[in-house]
Order: sequence, then C-alpha cells, then structure tokens
Amino acid sequence: MSDVRPGDETADDDADDVPPHRARDRSGRLDSERRQGTPYTESQVIMPTVKIVAPFAFTYGLFITFHGAGSPGGGFQGGAIMAAVVFMIAFAFGIEATREWLANTVVVALAVGGALAFAGIGLLPVARGGAFLQYDLLPIPVKYGLESVEVFGIAAIVSGVLMGLFFLLANGFDSDGSGFGDGGPVDEDADELAGESGSPEADRTAAADGGER
Amino acid sequence: MTGAIALAPSAPVQVPVVAQITAIEASLLAFVVLTALATALARDVLAAVIVFGAYSLGMAALYTFYRAPDVALTEAAISAGVTTVLLLLTLAKTTRIDHDVAFESVNLPAVGAVGILFGGLLLTMGDIPAVGSPDAPVWSNPEVSQWYLSESYAQTGVENTVMAVLAAFRGFDTFGEAVVVFAGGIAALIVLHREVFA
Repeated sequence: MSDVRPGDETADDDADDVPPHRARDRSGRLDSERRQGTPYTESQVIMPTVKIVAPFAFTYGLFITFHGAGSPGGGFQGGAIMAAVVFMIAFAFGIEATREWLANTVVVALAVGGALAFAGIGLLPVARGGAFLQYDLLPIPVKYGLESVEVFGIAAIVSGVLMGLFFLLANGFDSDGSGFGDGGPVDEDADELAGESGSPEADRTAAADGGER
Repeated sequence: MTGAIALAPSAPVQVPVVAQITAIEASLLAFVVLTALATALARDVLAAVIVFGAYSLGMAALYTFYRAPDVALTEAAISAGVTTVLLLLTLAKTTRIDHDVAFESVNLPAVGAVGILFGGLLLTMGDIPAVGSPDAPVWSNPEVSQWYLSESYAQTGVENTVMAVLAAFRGFDTFGEAVVVFAGGIAALIVLHREVFA
C-alpha cells in the first residue's frame, strides 16, 4: 500500500496494477522520460490535438488581449486564455516537463512585471504633474495608454498568477516542503490506523506499519 | 434589448416586450439550474467538478444571450476553463473514492434552510426591472449610464465602453483589482511554504 504512487490511481481506476504508459526517452523534448517527475499517460489522441489547437488558442488569447479596445475582451480574459493554453500543454505533455520548460523566472517575471508596468503607467502622469492614470499626459495617444495597461499590466499579471497557481497546485503541499503528493492516499489510511495521532511523523510511521498488513 | 422587440415585429416599437422568454433563453436557464442542482447533489467529486464546468459554460452562453460578452468571456475563460482545471488538478493530487450511488441523499433541513433563503430572495424579484425594460435604472437615469456611452469614445478613443470604464474612468479600481490578483499569487506561495512557483 505504501508503494502506491499518488498518480497511479488517478491515471486510470481500472488499471491500478498496470503501470501507466511512460513516455519513451527523447531527451530534450517535452515528452521525454527524463523530464517526467510525476506519472503521466502519453495519449496519442490528446498530444496531436493539443499540438493543433494550442497555436490557435494562443493566438485567440493574444487577439482578445490586444483587441480589447475594439471588441469584447481585454487583458483579464486574454490573459486567462493564454494561461489556459499552458494548462492544455501541461496536460498533454506532462506537468513536470512544462514546469521545467516554462521556468519559474518566466512566471514571476510576468506577474511582477505586469504589476510594475501597471503602476509605472499609472505613476508616469503623476511624475508629469497630473493624476494617477491620467492618460492624456502619456507620450502616446490615450487609446494606446489604455491598451498598454491591458496588455502589459493586466494580461501579464493574470496569466502569470494563473500559471503560478497551476504549477503550485501540481507541485502539491507538505509541511516539510517535500510535496504532499508523496503520501496523500497513504496518510488517509494512516489516520484511521493511528487514531488520534496528529503529527506528520506519527502518521508516516503508522502508514509504513499499516502498509505491511 | 432589441432582440425582445424583434420577437414581436407587429408590435409598435415603444411597447416594451419584456415578459416574453425565448426558447433559447428558457433552455439555457433550465440547463443552468439543472447543472447547478447536479453539482450540489453529485456524490462523486469528479462528476461534480465536470458538471460545474458545464454550469459555467451555460452561464457564459446566458451572458452572451443577455449581451454581456465581456462577462461571458470572463465566465468561460476563468470559471469554465481555469477553475475546472485547477479543481481537476487538486483532485488528481488526492484520492478518488468510488461510489455506488450517483447522487447524495437530500438533507431535508438543509433544503428547508435554502428554501427559506430562496423564498426571501424570490420576494425581491418584483422590484427588479424586467430585462430590456425602458424603466430600468440604467435607462431611466441617462445622466450616468448614457454619459459613459456617449463620452467614453470621445474621451478615450476606445470603442469598447466596458474597457474604457475599466481602464480609464475606473482605472484606479482596476489597478487595485490587478494588485489583488498579484497578491493572491503571493498568498498562495506563502500558504504553501514555497518560494518559487515552478
């Protein structure tokens, strides 16, 4: 019981004993086995579908973001769509691989850069003696001032934070920082076996004992 | 608003056709209510998450029908897309229990409490103006809403009034909202004891 890895149940309930299909080693590529930290099922249906859909979905997200001034949409919606494209790629090619491909630097740069860009665009008119976000004091037309807030501010913040939340959730949680996914199902059994014990160490030893029975 | 008039082409334009409900609207409303009930009653969490995504998609279609495409896009992208993915990911990190029954047994006291609340809310329905009614505050107070409609293009050069209000007239609020989203990401990092997202 203690050997069961968390992803094995979620991949396919019917195939608990059968190991999930692993990606063949194609080093350097997103779907190579070397880059897979968590179990991941390679699907011949999902991967080509995502390969075809992702460019169009990403372009749609860019369109929604950049064309928010002339049609429904804007930075919030477009940023969410662009983040959803990354989710799609992560589900098709493995979350671990996508996490490594899209480094933490990119996610943080999007979120922090977006916040700084919005604040900067807002404060530039203040520096010129106007009010916060007084667009007519910007050196560009008012319309492009609004657009730059949507594109460089809101879209960047939303896409960055959503991607970050996705990777955070995928990483899991553990009180000692090594990942909650390593013992999720086992800990539940441990709670029943160990009764009142609340400390994670006690749970873990109880799980190890209980797993042998 | 114009759709309601188009339903009754023989009627004079100034007659508000507000009580009619189209087949699309009725089926969308029924779909939303049914999926909401299924979300609340589904025993399997995975089924509840999937039906909740369908509910959000129905709400997005309903917003589109009511000519609020900005809200519909947000609902579709955030609720139907991102939230469903995040919930599914959370489920993938936990255990999933097989259930013999598809639906939860109905908790009668909870139904009573919700029913009382629902009845109380239903009592306020009479004061809400009908969809497309010319007496709705948004039309009967033209000095506020009509000002934005007429001035937003003249002052900002942006055709989409929603974006003009969000980014220009209420730009400081939007800055606050964006910072709240940013702070949400930071808070998730703090709660999960991590220093990096990836």
